[in-house]
Amino acid sequence: MSFASVIVENALRIAEENKAKKVKSLTVVVGELLLINPDQLEFCFNVASHGTILENSKLNIEVAKADISCVNCGKKYDEVVYLCDECGGFVSVKGGKEMILSKIEIEN
Amino acid sequence: MHKIEIEAQIDLLSENKRLAEKNREFLRKKGIKAINIMGAIGSGKTLLIEKTIDSLPEIKFGVILGDVICRADFERVRKHDARVEPINTGKECHLDAHLISHVIEGFDGVDIILIENVGNLVCPVDFDLGEDYRVVMVSVTEGDDVVEKHPEIFRLADVIIINKISLADAVEADIDKMERDARRINGRALILKTDLRDGRGLNDWLNFVRRLKQK
Repeated sequence: MSFASVIVENALRIAEENKAKKVKSLTVVVGELLLINPDQLEFCFNVASHGTILENSKLNIEVAKADISCVNCGKKYDEVVYLCDECGGFVSVKGGKEMILSKIEIEN
Repeated sequence: MHKIEIEAQIDLLSENKRLAEKNREFLRKKGIKAINIMGAIGSGKTLLIEKTIDSLPEIKFGVILGDVICRADFERVRKHDARVEPINTGKECHLDAHLISHVIEGFDGVDIILIENVGNLVCPVDFDLGEDYRVVMVSVTEGDDVVEKHPEIFRLADVIIINKISLADAVEADIDKMERDARRINGRALILKTDLRDGRGLNDWLNFVRRLKQK
């Protein structure tokens, strides 16, 4: 819910700055390591946006992958590990923790 | 009526990051170290804080207790020799840098602040409080698959404490598996096995805290 609230807060600020009468849609990029369930985020967003010019707007959620790969052999991983299964090298984890409000579509 | 598409590109988590850095800077200037203690409900966080205060009288502790309703823990910890600030988070499942910023100003003269986060292994992960060290506490009674089910909180921990080890046989938990899982995702963390009730492993934790004071 706190993630949904921060989306609504920031989107309302931008919408007001642009003298919007209504917000049609928003796009949010969510890093996969935040482990946010998009359905839940959408539900919370609908609750948090109720009674504002964001109400009934479409929330597009794009999940950004983290780059998890072995620094030695380059093997890519889908889950977080510390050592590479293949060569025993260290695995680095980059990104995947961001939350960006990337686009807002408004009517004014 | 015009339709306009705005390229916003706003980092929604930046406000917490900014406040956390402010807290960190504030504490650094005062020479105070802060430890963020995370873990599930009943893992032993409050008892760890009580034992730490009682075992190290040479260190001046401050304690921040975060809970949905904090009174029970506050009543427990205030009996010990430390300055205690409760934070009732209400429906929120984690502490954040903003909540912490309200209370840290009252900790003048303290060496180390122990922060007990709200009991769960999910939400506190993404909210930097401005702490120096992150501690994650689990107990064997949560099941020996608890580490592999919550990789993110263990990946970012500086210390991982596996508690209630004397109950492992009774609940059929494999302590070695828990340690292996923790090591697999976090090679740099200090991993401690403790039983706070009978005191096993407590000294390893106290040594970690003693070293912080000297830093």
